[in-house]
Amino acid sequence: MHEVKMNRKKDKGFESPRPFKLTHQVVCINNINFQRKSVIGFVELTIFPTVVNLNRIKLNSKQCRIYRVRVNDLEAPFIYNDPTLEVCHHESKQRNLNYFSSAYTAAVSAVDPDAGHGELVIKVPSELWKQGDEMNVLKVYIEFSLDQPKGGLHFVVPDVEGSMAERGAHVFSFGYQNSTRFWFPCVDSYSELCTWKLEFTVDASMVAVSCGDLVETVYTHDMRKKTFHYVLPIPTAASNISLSVGPFEILVDPYMHEVTHFCLPQLLPLLKHSMSYLHEIFEFYEEILTCRYPYSCFKTVFVDEAYVQVSSYASMSIFSTNLLHSAMIIDQTPLTRQCLAQALAQQFFGCFISRMSWADEWVLKGISGYIYGLYLKKTFGVNQYRHWIKEELDKMVEYELKMGGVLLHPTFGGGKDKDNPTPHLHFSIKHPHTLSWKYYKMFQCKAHLVMRLIENRISMEFMLQVFNKLLSLASTASSQKYQSHMWSQMLVSTHSFLKSISNVSGKDIGPLIKQWVDQSAVVKFFGSFAFNRKRNVLELEIRQDYTSSGTQKYVGPIKVTVQELDGSFNHTLQIEENSLKHDIPCHSKSRRNKKKKIPLMNGEEVDMDLSAMDADSPLLWIRIDPDMSILRKVEFEQADFMWQYQLRYERDVVAQEESILALEKFPTPASRLALTDILEQDQCFYKVRQGACFCLAKIANSMMSTWTGPPAMKSLFTRMFCCKSCPNIVKTNTFISFQSYFLQKTMPVAMAQLRDIQNLCPKDVLNFILDLIKYNDNRKNKFSDNYYRAELIDALTNSLTPAISISNEVRTVDNLNGDVRLILEEITRSLNMEKLLPSYRNTITVSCLRAIRMLQKNGHIPSDPSLFKSYAEYGHFVDVRVAALEAVVDYTRVDRSSVELQWLLNMVQNDPAHYIRHKILSMLGKNPPFTKAAESPLCNEALVDQLWKLMNSGTSHDWRLRCDAVNLYYTLFGLTRPSCLPLPELGLVLNLKEKKAVLNPTIKPEQGPDTTEMTGITMGVHIPVMGFTSSLDEGLITMETVSSVSMSSGVAPPPQGLKRKLDSVVGPLGSSSPEPGQVLQEEDTSKKFKIRFNTVEEDEIDMESPHDSQAFIHHHLNILERPSTPGKEPPAVDQAVLSLPVTPLPSSFGKESTSSSKHSGDHHHHHHHHEHKKKKKKKHKHKHKHKHESKDKERDSHAFSNSPASGRSVRSPSMSD
Amino acid sequence: MADPAVMAGGFSAVVGRSGGGKATSSPAENYQLARRRTLQVVVSSLLTECGFESAEKAAVESLTEMIQSYISEVGRCAKAYCEHTARITPTLSDTVVTLIEMGFNVNTLPVYAKRSQRMVITAPPVTNAPVIPKALIAGQKRTHPSHIPSHFPEFPDPHTYIKTPTFREPVSDYQVVREKAASQRRDVERALTRFMAKTGETQSLFKDDITAFPLIAARPSSIPYLSALLPSELELQTLEETDSSEQDDQTDSENTLYFLNYDDPGADKENSMLPPGGVVPSVKASEENMIDNPYLRPVKKPKVRRKK
Repeated sequence: MHEVKMNRKKDKGFESPRPFKLTHQVVCINNINFQRKSVIGFVELTIFPTVVNLNRIKLNSKQCRIYRVRVNDLEAPFIYNDPTLEVCHHESKQRNLNYFSSAYTAAVSAVDPDAGHGELVIKVPSELWKQGDEMNVLKVYIEFSLDQPKGGLHFVVPDVEGSMAERGAHVFSFGYQNSTRFWFPCVDSYSELCTWKLEFTVDASMVAVSCGDLVETVYTHDMRKKTFHYVLPIPTAASNISLSVGPFEILVDPYMHEVTHFCLPQLLPLLKHSMSYLHEIFEFYEEILTCRYPYSCFKTVFVDEAYVQVSSYASMSIFSTNLLHSAMIIDQTPLTRQCLAQALAQQFFGCFISRMSWADEWVLKGISGYIYGLYLKKTFGVNQYRHWIKEELDKMVEYELKMGGVLLHPTFGGGKDKDNPTPHLHFSIKHPHTLSWKYYKMFQCKAHLVMRLIENRISMEFMLQVFNKLLSLASTASSQKYQSHMWSQMLVSTHSFLKSISNVSGKDIGPLIKQWVDQSAVVKFFGSFAFNRKRNVLELEIRQDYTSSGTQKYVGPIKVTVQELDGSFNHTLQIEENSLKHDIPCHSKSRRNKKKKIPLMNGEEVDMDLSAMDADSPLLWIRIDPDMSILRKVEFEQADFMWQYQLRYERDVVAQEESILALEKFPTPASRLALTDILEQDQCFYKVRQGACFCLAKIANSMMSTWTGPPAMKSLFTRMFCCKSCPNIVKTNTFISFQSYFLQKTMPVAMAQLRDIQNLCPKDVLNFILDLIKYNDNRKNKFSDNYYRAELIDALTNSLTPAISISNEVRTVDNLNGDVRLILEEITRSLNMEKLLPSYRNTITVSCLRAIRMLQKNGHIPSDPSLFKSYAEYGHFVDVRVAALEAVVDYTRVDRSSVELQWLLNMVQNDPAHYIRHKILSMLGKNPPFTKAAESPLCNEALVDQLWKLMNSGTSHDWRLRCDAVNLYYTLFGLTRPSCLPLPELGLVLNLKEKKAVLNPTIKPEQGPDTTEMTGITMGVHIPVMGFTSSLDEGLITMETVSSVSMSSGVAPPPQGLKRKLDSVVGPLGSSSPEPGQVLQEEDTSKKFKIRFNTVEEDEIDMESPHDSQAFIHHHLNILERPSTPGKEPPAVDQAVLSLPVTPLPSSFGKESTSSSKHSGDHHHHHHHHEHKKKKKKKHKHKHKHKHESKDKERDSHAFSNSPASGRSVRSPSMSD
Repeated sequence: MADPAVMAGGFSAVVGRSGGGKATSSPAENYQLARRRTLQVVVSSLLTECGFESAEKAAVESLTEMIQSYISEVGRCAKAYCEHTARITPTLSDTVVTLIEMGFNVNTLPVYAKRSQRMVITAPPVTNAPVIPKALIAGQKRTHPSHIPSHFPEFPDPHTYIKTPTFREPVSDYQVVREKAASQRRDVERALTRFMAKTGETQSLFKDDITAFPLIAARPSSIPYLSALLPSELELQTLEETDSSEQDDQTDSENTLYFLNYDDPGADKENSMLPPGGVVPSVKASEENMIDNPYLRPVKKPKVRRKK
């Protein structure tokens, strides 16, 4: 806790980073032109200077054209500079991601409103700052326009006849985190609150929906337009302001007249149905929070081409129109309700209560996610809730184990001690805008899970009291005048939240916070046990893996539940440093023959058939951490019969799901029986039963040779869903019972996974599915069967197996396999019928496209992307497009098609729908055409340049997209210089060499115990060595800028550029080497180094004490901390040290990069000349390996994170007075 | 003389001739050929009478054609006259009127008939009159009721007006019904989609045979969400059907607030009938007083105050 407190010292009160305080802002948009997609307006900010002589005002503004700025009616000069437009300047040939990430972070920091920066710098006229000591109010008036905005505002203008209103044209604001600056100048920070007046003049046929209360609507004088006047008296951050304009249909909520819903023309009936339960969500939140909804009104707007499904702003939320559904639709209903509940939870925490800084984001996301969970529990039941928690936990754990930890509360100690708390990531978590989207999703996930842990610790009652306290403080503050200085109470911080918890509950949750909030990573347990009959004791062993990436060590209590014959018992064990074994005394004296009911945890008493169990042991099953009160993954070993008992008799759905997963490994008749019983039990939670279907299919496949009876699930399905008189015909659909409905949907899909001895889907099963399709009859059903039919198509897809054929045979109609022909006929018919009678959300088209891709992939029909490309075009329903794009992405990978990759990347740049662009990149990242680990003809210089350009400047209008591009780049090329780039020029060698001469004397004395990275410099020689090994690519330029920094500290970060190239040359050797992100055991590397450097003359390097040197490096880095210009020479770093310009000599060694003779000749240290001519490649390998090891440490990322921010961007635009 | 069969004969003779003198011919054709031959004889004898010694076959044919047309026209007109006067059999006067109408001087006819050098023509060979194929006998042929004179046309064949209900034992076997419904639907769907595919643009999965498994081409729409979200008319129909049957229990269980229950269904209908883009709340003009929502308030006229 002490440490925790230390960390948050600065959190105590809110200190604005700005020399002024914003109190009120007017936004007036007088003209919105749908034809030209342009907007004209002005803003007026009322600010109070908090310093004397306020001479410049920094505001945020992106892509706005600013016509004039006036401060108190005096024209004011201004400078507009947005360093994020182009992160690395184009003269740079730098192509490594480390470099980019740090430059990008620096660029974002340079305009970060939370640090008081901004793109727009206004010089206050000198007349005004002379009177500054009186602290007068300043009114900053800015006229601006937007022309075809690429971000911030999205215009949807369908290309049909008629007026804009008839066409359903609309526009709405969007963005990821604080993105309001894209559409009007403001202080785009969640911590700068002010009151608002918003005016929008729109066509008379349109409605403008925005935040706050609609005070009046007035026609313009020509009566052709009207102006909507909104007032938002509650202090609100600009980032929470939004707008949407369109010919919306209006629905006043019948239960709550202050709530208004808006949808696009013709969708009103759907809107009515979809919104009919919103009031329940309102009631729920108001009740648990014992607090009224903070705003006087609420608006929901449903728009097309939404950026995300749900986005919340002050007193309004913007949703995707695709959430609307009619009463006939089953599957979408819970999803839509969940989206509404999320939106509403964020109204309280996120919009009304805002955050102090980005580091406090987790509190808001955590609370809103947590109360949303409570809503789920109440509406969808405890089973659904626990299932959801497990799902979220698994998802998050999987991510952290794969990618390294997710850190909820990053502390950046002023850049001093911890520059990068997450060195394992390829992006910075310092700003929301540099985060990978997936990471942010997992971040939200973890946040609400941690809230749940806090609840476990302090009880729900206290938890809700804390929320209530935050809300009531905020609502008191919100009604005060600015002068009361109370508005900051509407901002939540980690500190204030924790203080509130401690005040309310009196409990110390410090360790919990330290473990899960201040620290990233999760816990990985392995459990096994033995029963000691003599002592009647259960000997439980719980081990942990805390060395792999994304894991941490857990010390503390853990709950273990043991189900014995005599009942269920909870034990709390203490996980300590060195104790693995825990003895748990058993209550039951082994097994008795007496027939007696067995009491379960929930008090229920059941009869069990105990014949399966071990006669000597009273244990039925054991569960570790059953309440999921640790963020962990548990791998527990117990006998198959124990899993079966657990599946049958444990009432917790999480336990049931765990046992289903475990039973996959036990393909026995007993498992089969247990699963079948669960399938038949209609009291069992439907998702468990769905899981059981898939497990049963897997088991059946493993038991293939001993399986008796009809194919798994067939007779069950027949009994449940087919007619009594004719068992091959399915009953006409009614879908009255949703549980059965979901089961009916799932079973065929699972059955289609069955395989016979030839590894084909059994004929029986295929015919059965075809019959289901044939006899499907929905005429008497009040629900739509579109999802069911789609899943039947999915079942057909699942039944496909690779075609047997002679290689390179052209796929023709004639040699189509008979079964496949039947399948294809169904698919063709369904897909064609969709054109005539489209299904809801075109689910069937989506399934058909997937099926066709599967047919192609399995070699039944010719592989061809053109069909998918036509479905992927703009103008199809978004789900269809995504499915088609997924197929194209898959095709690109399988067929290594550069044409399709280009086509996809074009779409990323040009598609009107932001969601689609994002989706393409994330699908490419998930299913990459190639990866850094493998060679591919697609991997070429042009592609590197293209992607580089995309993330460097092509995506500056959309933070999310830029981060997606970064992710893709990372997946394809890794952190270092892509291997496909030609070896760069060697100009640097000379530099380094000469520098060495200069540096050596200076450095030598400083050489402390060095790190692996220090190899280069520790012995003067090493600079050239290093330069040599890296063979001086452009990568080195950074490296070099860094090294110029670090050299003075005696550290040369290992170059990385070459690694991949050489990897590919080296082959197995290279591929076995760890990726940079991985943490190596320091000892290992250093040993390697020792070996390596024995070939070098001056060895005697002490590699064993890396930590000190780390600190040392940091120390020096911080001394030197300053931005440098990427691609240009680093700005005067210690001139004394760096006597020569570091710019690489242009191509002095040009193409000779591959033949290393020249530079090795220059360095003549350890490489054997005679080898050169014979085996250049080998040579490379050798050298490379050398360098490569040193680089694995990658500690240089520290260095990088400091260096390359563009000078222009980091320093505020040069108004150097 | 002016028998309808003549006309028919003339026609079919033409047809028969153009058919290229087939050896085999039906009785009806034989009958007509015989008549035609008689006409040719008549033409030839008339030519002889006029002093010709020989004639080209083509000329005889043309003259035969002319004479046949003439006689046919006389017959047709005479028939028309007789029907005009509500009779079914032409009388002498009908024929006379016809001849006059055709510009023939009737008075010369007796003289011409009694001319001396006329040749006597043998009667056409006896051929069986063509048998009119019997229509399907269905039911009793009705005779005229007493108030209709017998010269009026007879009733047409009964099959043209009577209805014969056909019954088959309704198929009650559930399996067969389902089977039928399923295959019927499938056939309809297949035919429909094939038709659409044939008449429109298609995409194909195979390169060798683009007609196998034709897919109706994907066509982007300008407002794709409408068709994807709104239930199709077919679905709406089913919904209405099922709704009407289940409305009762639904209203009981679901809508506890009967105030809403009261105005919701009505409002629903009104709205669904609204033209697209129509502003809904105006419909509920009467309720506006109750619901105070800023979006329902009337738009204000621009105020006199001017913006500075």
